[in-house]
Amino acid sequence: MTVKKFKLWLAPNISKEEEWLTEMSQKGLHLTKYRFFTYHFEEDPTKSYTYQIDFRQGAKYDYFQLYKDAGWDHITEVIGVFHYFRTESTNSEVKKIYSDNQSIQDSYIRMRGFYLLIFILFLVSQIGALTSWSGWPRYIVIGVDVAVIVIYLHLFYVFNKRINFYRKL
Amino acid sequence: MAKQPEAFLPLSQATYYILLSLREVRHGYGIMQDVEEVSKGEVNLGPGTLYGALSKLEKQAVIQKIYVQEDERRKYYELTKLGKKVLQLEYNRLKSVVENSGELIKEMEEK
Repeated sequence: MTVKKFKLWLAPNISKEEEWLTEMSQKGLHLTKYRFFTYHFEEDPTKSYTYQIDFRQGAKYDYFQLYKDAGWDHITEVIGVFHYFRTESTNSEVKKIYSDNQSIQDSYIRMRGFYLLIFILFLVSQIGALTSWSGWPRYIVIGVDVAVIVIYLHLFYVFNKRINFYRKL
Repeated sequence: MAKQPEAFLPLSQATYYILLSLREVRHGYGIMQDVEEVSKGEVNLGPGTLYGALSKLEKQAVIQKIYVQEDERRKYYELTKLGKKVLQLEYNRLKSVVENSGELIKEMEEK
C-alpha cells in the first residue's frame, strides 16, 4: 500500500529531513518517491531503513555505483541534484555518507552556490516581468517578488549558519 | 602552471591514506576498503567524503582516471607522477617529525 504525505522543507534542513524519513521507516513507512513536495511511502512493518540525502550536481554512473558498493541504495532524486539513499538500519557496518565535517561543509557550500544561481536567474527574469506590466498588475508582481526575495534571503541566512557551524568545529 | 608537490603538504590523514591506497590501481570502494585496512580502522571514509576527495585530487592532477574495460560502471584511479612525489614528500615529513621529537616525547613520559 502506498501512503502519501505532503511536506515542505528548506534545503539546508536536509539532516532534519533525513531524520524524519528514518523515523517514518521505523514506523514501517519507507520512502520510494518524492514528487511535487509529496513523499510516497511503501508500507512494510518488517523493514527499517536509515535514510541519507546527498546534494550532487552532474552525478553519473560511477557516483551511484560507489554509494551502492558502500551499502547505500539510491531511491529517488529531486530536480536531479538531491539524491535520496537508504540502507537497512540493522546494517551497522555501513558508514555515513560524510565521514568528516569538512565534507559536510563542502556539501552545504555546493548547495548554496546552486541556490544562488537560481536566485540570480529569478532576479534577471523579473526585470522583464516588471517592465512589461503596468498599473495594478505591476503591484502584484512586486508583491510576489518581495515575498520570494525574503524567502531566499532567509534560505541564504540558514546556509551561512550551517557553513559557519561546520567551519568552527 | 601546475602546483609544486611541496604546496600540497601537509596532507590530511584521510588524503594521505587515499594516496597510499593508490599504490595499486583501485576503484572508489576498493580505496575505502584499503584505507580502513591499512589505517587499522583509524580512518573510515564515507562514500560522499571519498567522492568529493577524489574529484578534488583529480582536478589537482594528483591522481588520474584509468579506463578498465572489464568494469565500465566504476571509475578506477592511479597516482600521477605529481601524486607519487606528494606522497613521498609527506612520508618524509611525517617521518622526520616523529624522529625529531621521539626522544623528547619519551623523556617527557619518563618524568
